[in-house]
Amino acid sequence: MASLKDLKTRINSVKSTQKITAAMKMVAAAKLRRAQEAAEAGRPYADRMRGVIANLAAKADPSSAPALLVGNGKSANHLLVVISADRGLCGGFNGSITRQTRTEVARLQGEGKTVKLLMVGRKSADALRREFGDSYIANLEGIQGTAVSFSDAADLGETVRSGFENGDFDVCTMIYNKFVNAITQEVKLTQLIPAEVGDAGGDDAGSNYDYEPEEDELLASLLPRIISTQIYSALLESSAAELAARMTAMDNATRNAGDMIDRLTLVFNRTRQAAITNELIEIISGAEAL
Amino acid sequence: MAETTQLELVTPARIMAQKSVQMVVAPGVEGLFGVLPRHAPLLADLTRGIVEVHEDGKVTDRFMIDGGLADVSGESVTILAERAIDLGSADAAALKEKAANVNEAEAAFLNAVIESL
Repeated sequence: MASLKDLKTRINSVKSTQKITAAMKMVAAAKLRRAQEAAEAGRPYADRMRGVIANLAAKADPSSAPALLVGNGKSANHLLVVISADRGLCGGFNGSITRQTRTEVARLQGEGKTVKLLMVGRKSADALRREFGDSYIANLEGIQGTAVSFSDAADLGETVRSGFENGDFDVCTMIYNKFVNAITQEVKLTQLIPAEVGDAGGDDAGSNYDYEPEEDELLASLLPRIISTQIYSALLESSAAELAARMTAMDNATRNAGDMIDRLTLVFNRTRQAAITNELIEIISGAEAL
Repeated sequence: MAETTQLELVTPARIMAQKSVQMVVAPGVEGLFGVLPRHAPLLADLTRGIVEVHEDGKVTDRFMIDGGLADVSGESVTILAERAIDLGSADAAALKEKAANVNEAEAAFLNAVIESL
């Protein structure tokens, strides 16, 4: 049985852990609000961009459309852009990305395809390095998190685009956590190349747009932008989701620490009483023996 | 009251402007073009330049954009720009300071803004 002193140390150590997790929860909550606002403020741009592309793509001639839109006709080489966090202590956030990536790579390899990985964020990159380290084409750190900038996303988009044009891969898919609400994140797979085009939505598709410059030229200049935009919104979603995950995880940790302190305090008090009772018995039996 | 068209200027970070206006002049890659209410649907690629908002024959707002896209329909003008700055509230000194700390593309844009002030 642990001594009183050991128990006391234990309780104190759990108490400090609880303080840390509570502080981390507050920090995450404060940052989350900002990240959530940023993610929400970024949605209109991404939505409208998607609408415009859908509209253009609906009318583009598949035989002459740019390869970024319709693909280059092959699908032997895949690139996965995996967005995880740089830091841990955020519950299942990185784990679910890692798991999804592993499944996806296994699926693609099972179909006999070559898979390359572009890792954004340290955690999943570290977790998968032993298995797939050879397929990494880059591992970027520090571009997601609290300050996501559009130019970082544009640079990343440019890397992806030039890789595609050099024929390094034929299909590009992005794996990231989408922020649903403060307690839910959803792992999403978005295909970047060929561009995933939703429905243009009835009326819009039919209306007779004028284009300036010509349709093909316009499409060619827009497609790189839609890639950057999609990456940017994924980074925003992912950083909001990361903070939300960390907030929930730290909230749970704080609560668990509280439970543990209660349990340890109970054991501590029982042990203390047992010790007192023991001493009393010794004194009484000592007195009786006289 | 004169007819208006709904202007929206959206950047990846936020919606910069959202209001009913009488006329918008935007810098297309093939030259400046004005948009009045009931304009024919148009998708235009934009270059770096100034978006002007006109009310009653006067310019009320000016935004510098770093290229982008204009989606014009009969009742709305949506401008999607990667970077945009409201020239009405821009401050040359603050922008100069900012230009020193950002990457080349962004600095070039900020310098263009400073010049146009």
